[in-house]
Amino acid sequence: MTPPELFDRRLIFVLGKGGVGKSVVAAALGTAWARAGQRVVIAEVANQHRLSDLFATRDVARNAPTELAPGLFGFSIDVDKSTEEYLASHIKVRPLVDLLVRSRAFHNFAAAAPGLPELVTLGKIWELAVALKDGRPVWDKVVVDCPATGHGIALLQTAGNVSELAAQGPVREQAHRIEEVVKHAGATGIAIVARPEELPVSEAIEAAATLRADHFPVAATIMNGMTPRRFWPEDAAVLARVDLDDPQAAAAAHAALQAHHHSTIEHDHLRELATGTHTAPLIMPDLGPVPIGPAELGILADALQAARHAGEPAVRR
Amino acid sequence: MNISGLEGCRVIVCCGSGGVGKTTISAALGLALARNGSKVAVVTIDPARRLASALGLSALGDEPRQVDIGPTGSWGELWALQLDAKATFDRLVQRHAPSADAAERILDNRIYAHLSGAVAGSQEYMAVERLNELTHDLRFDQIVLDTPPAQNALDFLDAPTRITHFIEGKSLRMLLSPGAAAGHLGWKVLHAGSSTVFSILERVTGAQLLRDLGEFLAAFDGMYSGFSERAEAVRTLLHSPRAAFVVVSSADDEPVREAGALVERLTHDRFPIGAAVMNRIRPLPATEPPTREGLMAVLADAGARDPADLADRTLAQLEHDRARALRDHESCARLARLLGGRQPLQVPDFPDEPVEISGLGHVADALSG
Repeated sequence: MTPPELFDRRLIFVLGKGGVGKSVVAAALGTAWARAGQRVVIAEVANQHRLSDLFATRDVARNAPTELAPGLFGFSIDVDKSTEEYLASHIKVRPLVDLLVRSRAFHNFAAAAPGLPELVTLGKIWELAVALKDGRPVWDKVVVDCPATGHGIALLQTAGNVSELAAQGPVREQAHRIEEVVKHAGATGIAIVARPEELPVSEAIEAAATLRADHFPVAATIMNGMTPRRFWPEDAAVLARVDLDDPQAAAAAHAALQAHHHSTIEHDHLRELATGTHTAPLIMPDLGPVPIGPAELGILADALQAARHAGEPAVRR
Repeated sequence: MNISGLEGCRVIVCCGSGGVGKTTISAALGLALARNGSKVAVVTIDPARRLASALGLSALGDEPRQVDIGPTGSWGELWALQLDAKATFDRLVQRHAPSADAAERILDNRIYAHLSGAVAGSQEYMAVERLNELTHDLRFDQIVLDTPPAQNALDFLDAPTRITHFIEGKSLRMLLSPGAAAGHLGWKVLHAGSSTVFSILERVTGAQLLRDLGEFLAAFDGMYSGFSERAEAVRTLLHSPRAAFVVVSSADDEPVREAGALVERLTHDRFPIGAAVMNRIRPLPATEPPTREGLMAVLADAGARDPADLADRTLAQLEHDRARALRDHESCARLARLLGGRQPLQVPDFPDEPVEISGLGHVADALSG
């Protein structure tokens, strides 16, 4: 499995443990594709409001594409609104739809029906992926910023669960159509994101195994926040010999050795991610203690493009 | 701010956004309290086996297991468990169903199988139920709860309300349960409004799914008030002085912002905030950086082949470390402002991740001040 596979898919789910930077990865992927002239939409799930922060733009509208950068759109999936739209498309008689969404009984149903919010969310994503205009796809790329691992996997599995649960009827047919697209290895790819730390990596490995066992197309892993390597073993040997009499020089050597140690651990985690998931992880560098904005997304998009062609990003010294 | 304020608390809830080290802090907090002589149960609610690895255990069960925290002396006990939402749900059904027969009907229901096994939603419901069970377990003085990895760290707080809404769906049960609500007369006696809603819904879901759902909800008859009462009991406990919320953050921009939102929400809803923890803080350098020439000379003495190059990279590293430490410092100040001037507890960034009990000990030391 090689990295470029991810770049050929049309529907990309970005999945990973909380805090690994899924939104940043989704935004960087979207930026890379939009810059290459593709028409891209990034779908965010469950009111995250992250995209407007990252791109320093106005709020992303609910259930309507909002332009974030040239050719790049954000789409915030609103479950209540999507449920209503979904019912409207099936029931077709507007007063009946209104009656339904206004009734307390329906809201209780929506809250109690297992998997309904997830199904509706996934249905919206599916609509984006299959939308056509004048016989051509509306979107070249649909990037989904998923909820944290457990919830993200639940979101992906929901179509299969529902088509199993409902023996017949429109819901089942719909769920089945969605499942086909979500599991379509040619069109869909799941990118599992980790950070170079023990727990995010082990969670990524577990997620890859779970998803593959369930026949989901795991297309890539992405290691986000790799510290660019500044020191090598031969440096460490020199630094270890630094005379400790000069406190300033000793402190400097200590800091450099710490950085080397840290980088070594990060690379161990990178290897673990690679072997544990049988992938060649794409690497996104740590940009230091700065908030991520449009300029940083540009750098990360370049890094992803570069990583697509090589195993490791250009070394910054 | 220190953990002494947490000593008399029955329940301590650790919350914060994903990836800030909430699970580690929960475990370390449990360890710190146990060292103070308390019998502590730490509950984690996470599909990944994070607490297990943090505690050096290969697998945690739904039942509390005692953790070996070394030579104890006057120390208390540390117990750990991982929430198994399905096991908790099953146990609940077996314990509270009106009859063994009714319990079996629920456990065999297809809707139940999906609902109880689902990650989304079910975890938050069951966290509340499990917490309720543990507050009645006299083996423990204190319970430390790690919250579920939700999109929104506040979701957990809404769980009791959602349970109550879910189970109070009386109109829905009227709508869906063929016998129980309508006295075995079937659908026809339901009043007009509901049956219209039903027939519209049926056009979308198919009749069978609705029938399954109706049977599922009917099977729960007689258990509804129990759900409601337990959720209310937990809610009351979480609002009382016997509970404390601990807001955990890392120094990154997004988690601090989320911690701020959390503090605001907890304050607004009058949940007691016991402490805030800023995790993985890097210290400001104790000395000024050396001069480039001075460093080059030292590195040349140490045998560097290209002292200028290594000196430049080392100085760049120092500058990087300083910028990060300054940012961390500023994040602490930001969180303190959000807390109305109370200082967060600071846990340093340890070079090696605290995934063993000894590593947790260092974090516990930092928390104890």
